[in-house]
Amino acid sequence: MQSQILTWITFLPLLGMAVILFLPKTAMTAVKGVSVVATFIAMVLATKLYFVDFAHKSVAEIEASRGAGDILGAQFVQKVDWISSIGVQYYIGVDGLSVALVWLTTVLLFIGVIASFGMEKAGKAYYALLLLLQVGIGGVFVSLDLFLFYVFWEVMLLPMYFLIGIWGGPRREYAAIKFFLYTLAGSVLMLVAIVALRLDSGTFSIPQLTELAVSGKLTGASLPAAGKLLGMQFSTWVFWFLFIGFAIKVPVFPFHTWLPDAHVEAPTPISVILAGILLKLGGYGMLRACFPIAPDAFRDSAFILGVLGVISIVYGAFVALGQSDFKKMVAYSSVSHMGYVLLGMAAFTVWGMEGAVLQMFNHGTSSAALFLIVGVIYDRAHHRDLNGFGGLSQLMPRYWALTTLGFFAALGLPGLAGFISEAMTLIGAFQADDTRFQVLVLISTLGIVFTAAFLLYAMQRVFLGKKNPKYEGIEEISFREVFCQVPFLALCIVFGILPYLLLDWMHPSVQNLLNILKIQG
Amino acid sequence: MNNAYLDGLASIAPEIVLTVTALGALVLDLVAKGRDSVRVGYLTLAGLAATAWFLFGQWGQPSHTAYGMVAIDQFGNFFKLFSTAALAIVVLFVMHDRRERRHGIGEYYFLLLGALIGIFFMVSTGNLLLMVLGFELLSLSSYSLSGFHKGNRKSAEASMKYVIFGGLSTGIMVYGISLLYGLTGTIDLAKMAGSANLVAQVSSNPIPFGIATVLVLAGFAYKISLAPFHFWTPDVYEGAPTPVTAFLAVASKAAGFGALLRFLGALFLDQGGTPLGEYGTRVGTMLALLAAVTMTLGNLAALRQPSLKRMLAYSSIAHAGYVMIGIACMTRGGFTAAMYYLAAYYFMNLGAFGFLVYFEGVTGSDTVDSLKGMGFKAPLISMVMVAFLVSLTGLPPTVGFYGKYLLFIEGVDNGLMWLVVVAALNSVVSLFYYLRVARALFLSKASDQEAAPAPVLTGFVTVLGVATVAFGLYVTPLQAWATKSLDLIRSATGS
Repeated sequence: MQSQILTWITFLPLLGMAVILFLPKTAMTAVKGVSVVATFIAMVLATKLYFVDFAHKSVAEIEASRGAGDILGAQFVQKVDWISSIGVQYYIGVDGLSVALVWLTTVLLFIGVIASFGMEKAGKAYYALLLLLQVGIGGVFVSLDLFLFYVFWEVMLLPMYFLIGIWGGPRREYAAIKFFLYTLAGSVLMLVAIVALRLDSGTFSIPQLTELAVSGKLTGASLPAAGKLLGMQFSTWVFWFLFIGFAIKVPVFPFHTWLPDAHVEAPTPISVILAGILLKLGGYGMLRACFPIAPDAFRDSAFILGVLGVISIVYGAFVALGQSDFKKMVAYSSVSHMGYVLLGMAAFTVWGMEGAVLQMFNHGTSSAALFLIVGVIYDRAHHRDLNGFGGLSQLMPRYWALTTLGFFAALGLPGLAGFISEAMTLIGAFQADDTRFQVLVLISTLGIVFTAAFLLYAMQRVFLGKKNPKYEGIEEISFREVFCQVPFLALCIVFGILPYLLLDWMHPSVQNLLNILKIQG
Repeated sequence: MNNAYLDGLASIAPEIVLTVTALGALVLDLVAKGRDSVRVGYLTLAGLAATAWFLFGQWGQPSHTAYGMVAIDQFGNFFKLFSTAALAIVVLFVMHDRRERRHGIGEYYFLLLGALIGIFFMVSTGNLLLMVLGFELLSLSSYSLSGFHKGNRKSAEASMKYVIFGGLSTGIMVYGISLLYGLTGTIDLAKMAGSANLVAQVSSNPIPFGIATVLVLAGFAYKISLAPFHFWTPDVYEGAPTPVTAFLAVASKAAGFGALLRFLGALFLDQGGTPLGEYGTRVGTMLALLAAVTMTLGNLAALRQPSLKRMLAYSSIAHAGYVMIGIACMTRGGFTAAMYYLAAYYFMNLGAFGFLVYFEGVTGSDTVDSLKGMGFKAPLISMVMVAFLVSLTGLPPTVGFYGKYLLFIEGVDNGLMWLVVVAALNSVVSLFYYLRVARALFLSKASDQEAAPAPVLTGFVTVLGVATVAFGLYVTPLQAWATKSLDLIRSATGS
């Protein structure tokens, strides 16, 4: 009997969406109710999966199952034939890399639904699309079949396009299509790589592909012209095609330009989901379906990836410093924070890689909190100009307190979650065998300074200083808004103090992955 | 002898039913003195249903040849069934086109049926003479159909352009066939492929054969609007009545592909190692280049079209380029992928044209701008349209994605990696203009235009939409059908 828990977590929102489509347009209470219930049950199931059901295998246990098509030590595996003519399977499961992200997805979407209640324009279609989005995101994290992975990856695009395009800000059409085109440009390259991998190996299964890759059997030898493209070796171009597809999603400099536009135009809950979980798909994708499938090419280009990561860190923070739009500033801070993920992964050490995965989770919570903070003020003042406020701390003390916490979490204050993951990636990068990484770490510390600078500078302009008389009667943060904020801030604190609640889950898988990547084919 | 004659009649029963229906439509229209042409439409639908019935009867029967010319096989059956179903949808479009008159259009149906008869003969013969006859019957009917709105300048222009281009291309093709006859002494494809003379000729001096092949391919290229023979397409598609455009873009194009597959299949398929087979790879390389040019041209030109109809015309050029990936492989797998893609194309493109028929009826205009904000006024058909657009772009989980996937996998497998990358980047370009429609529908501010309900039209367009998604999730039957149909391509022409 295969476990079906992941199927339920993934497809419950789809069920909710089907129900919503049959409700009348006017029954908004019912629509919201169904959305809340569907996402809530998914969250409860995922929470139970994470804290109760997930078995902590040791590295040795995972490695013992190598060779049996289970190199990842995945749990809750479900495997059913889907398109038998080409060997596509409905093959899902989680390991230490994905289980936390599955959980985070359900939490974020649940909060996302509640945060949407403030949007008056949001109708039935909005909630239906939101639930469809969750299916796409959740599906990517559990897929162990590359074809299935790709299908979920693309399923996510259309709801996002409409969510930004219909309910977004003034330049929503531009932002929506830019998001779609950038992501698609990356994903068609991915598709070409997936097709080539399938032809060379005869399988779509990610664990099997990984096994073949680490044993040096994934070389394109069975393809015409040995799988070369424009003179590049098979594994080289496959690696870069996959990497660019994921890098656009992360987004890594220089593929990041869609992100500020999408964030600025997207409604608050969508920004929260975009920053909180969509960006993680890129980083996760690299760890799951890019590095292990082309390990040689990864080792060869690790330094380039590290450089890209550092550029993202410093450049993102530096540009954020110059922003006057609150949301754009937070958007660029995402570019900066996700740079640590790439740097940590490229460092090729346990600390680096574990820090990277941890950073993905922590950025998920802290950036979600930041975007909610922006949303609160935007709903009241209808603008986001950092210079247009002043002295809000006296008018909205509770809001100020929450914001301070969020800002400190984002700038990596010790005791809060971001500190641990950023420190781990930097230490991990410093330990890298390739000593050039030490220079990279030195440069990236600039990013830390810039990050502190732009956050504190924003804090000063918005909350401190003279009271702006225009906002004399501004409403304090409401209960619903606090309710949305608190889980994220709480997670920032909890995982800042007890990081092992995440690390213990991911460590065996990360160690296993690292061992796999170190095998010289 | 007598028995063979009767057996032959049974074999071409679908064609006979079609001919009788066509004549019946003409007579019914005369008797009714042109009043209430909808009845003629119903008669046509009944005739098509009967044709489909006979086609299903021939399903899975062993391949054989009737009268030494007409090949009755699964391959032809595949294209015949698709064209019949496509025509049925087109007839429904005509009947529900609010811009079309209700009276005095009986000959519309007659011409459509005539075109279908042409398709039937075109795709089910290995005899080049009969193929050209079918080709011409289809062309002549299409010329009249595209000029059906006599008073409309664009329609008249479309017809004129079509005639000139068509006449020229057919001429070139027939000249090519005459060269082939000169080289081999036969016009039967199967005998041609087995001709010792031809093999000797190809191994010593392949140039005459090369010229002949290129000339014949020019005729096909015109029918499937492959660059550089695509210039007629946008003008004709724009000028012709929308249901006719749908017919030309789907049924007529698929038939062109069917005949092309049979031609190339008979001469070059499964000939690995022989001089002909080696020559086939060279032809494949040429076709791959044409495919790359065609899809790029089609997509780039579609980017800037204000008219949805013209945009779909250019997009259909681009899709012809995608199909050519499979054909350029010159392998069974490649051909199967091409056939699968044609089937996919049938669902998504007919659906898109159904949407266009509906909105032309509502807004009286075919521009993308006129669709602004209509998504919320006619939600069902607009949502379904988004599914077609997604499928045309080639995103999962739709039939278009799986079709493209199959083409890509065959392309990579046959050393056309570069072409696959070109096609993949092309789909990104195509997303931009397909999304313009979605953007107008849902993202733009609404105009005052009210959407008139059209339950029947919406209904069957929705069915096509459901099929587009369902066959994307459950792909096995369509793929199995395409594979099986192709299996018999040579055995039938071989008798």
